[in-house]
Amino acid sequence: MTDAAARLRRPLWLRIYLGITLLLFLAAAAFGLVFSPRDVTQGDLIRIMYAHVSVAWIAFVAVGLTAVFGALYLWRGKRRDDVLAVASGEMGLFFASLTIIGGMTYSRPTLNTFWTWDAKLTLTAIMVALMVGYFIVRGLIDDPVRRGRVSAVVAIVAAASLPFNYLAAEWFRTLHPAKSVALDGSGVTMDATMLAVLLFNTVVAGLVYLGFMIDRVRLGRVEAALEEERSLAATRPAPVGKEVVRV
Amino acid sequence: MNRKWAYGLAGVAVLAVAGFMIFQALSTSLVYFILPNEHAADPAQYDGRRIRLGGIVTPGTIAFDERELQLTFLVTDGLVAYPVRHSGAPPELFKESTGVVVEGRFDDGTFVSDNVLVKHTEVYVAEGDHIDLELLRESLK
Repeated sequence: MTDAAARLRRPLWLRIYLGITLLLFLAAAAFGLVFSPRDVTQGDLIRIMYAHVSVAWIAFVAVGLTAVFGALYLWRGKRRDDVLAVASGEMGLFFASLTIIGGMTYSRPTLNTFWTWDAKLTLTAIMVALMVGYFIVRGLIDDPVRRGRVSAVVAIVAAASLPFNYLAAEWFRTLHPAKSVALDGSGVTMDATMLAVLLFNTVVAGLVYLGFMIDRVRLGRVEAALEEERSLAATRPAPVGKEVVRV
Repeated sequence: MNRKWAYGLAGVAVLAVAGFMIFQALSTSLVYFILPNEHAADPAQYDGRRIRLGGIVTPGTIAFDERELQLTFLVTDGLVAYPVRHSGAPPELFKESTGVVVEGRFDDGTFVSDNVLVKHTEVYVAEGDHIDLELLRESLK
C-alpha cells in the first residue's frame, strides 16, 4: 500500500507543469475577459464564447482519443491502452459537460434559449449520454479484459458522432452558429484579436486536458497493478502450514 | 491475426452503415426550421400545426408596442415574406437583418409566435473597427 502511495506522489516536473498550466489558465481568462474587444452585435457576451468554444474543441479531442485508445486496446489487448482510454474518457465527459453548461450560459442571452433540440445540440447530448454509458458499463463488468473491450466499443460509437457534430451546422439547419474557423484554412470569419484569444484559450484547455490525463494515467496504472495483484492473490493456493483467515 | 482483421473490417462496415443511417435520419426528420418559401409551396401541409419558421428580419418592418407587449415584423428568405406577431419583448440580440427562428403557428396568414430565437451568424467583428472610421469621416466633414 505504501508502495502505491509512493507511486501516486506527483513528481516535481508534473507539479511544475500543473502550476504553469494554472498560470496560463488565468492568463487565458484575462485575455478573454479583459483584452478581447467587444463584438459588434454581441457586445461583452462574446467573452463567454472563448470558454465555450475552446472547451468544446477539447471535449471532441478527448472523446476522439478515448475511442482511439479503446480501438488500440481491442487491437493489441495491452492494459496500458485501456488505462489511457479511461483517463481520456473521464476528461471527455468532464469537458463535454462543461461544453453544455457553457453553451447554455452563452445561448440564453444570445440565441434567447437555454436549450433547443437542433442537430448540433442533440448530437452533443447523445455524446454525453454515451460517455455516461461508458462509465456505467465499466462499473458493471468486473473482468478487466471484458470491461476494456465492451467499454471500448461504447467509446467508438460515441466518437462516431463527432464528424456529424463537427459539421452539423453546415449540413443541417441548426440554431447553433456555424464554424468561424475552418480547419482546412479556407476561411476565418472572426476578428484577428478574437481569433488569437480563442486559439490561446484552446491551447490552454488542451494543456489542462494533458495535465489531468498524465495525473489520471499515473493513478490508472497503480489501479491496474493493484487489481492484477489481487486477482493473482485470489487464484494462488493458500500457503501450506499456515492458517488462512478470510475476513 | 485473420480474425482481428475480419472483426476490424466488420466494425468499420457497421460504423459506416450506422453513420449513413444517422445522416439520413438527421437530414430528413431533423429539419429544425422551415423557410417561408417552403411553407408557401405547400401551406396545407403545415395548416394548424406548430412549426418553426426561419428567416431574416426584413429591415424597416419591426414594430414594438410597448404597452401591449406586441412585437411585429416580416420574416423573409428572400423569396417569400410572412408577417410575424409575437407576444412579448424582443430578445436582446434581435434586430433588423438578423436571422431568427420563430416558434408558433399560422393564423390567417400571420405567423403567431410564442418564442423568438435569434440565429446569429458565425461572423465576429470587433466593436469600433469600422465605427471609428465612420466617426472619423463624420468629424472630417
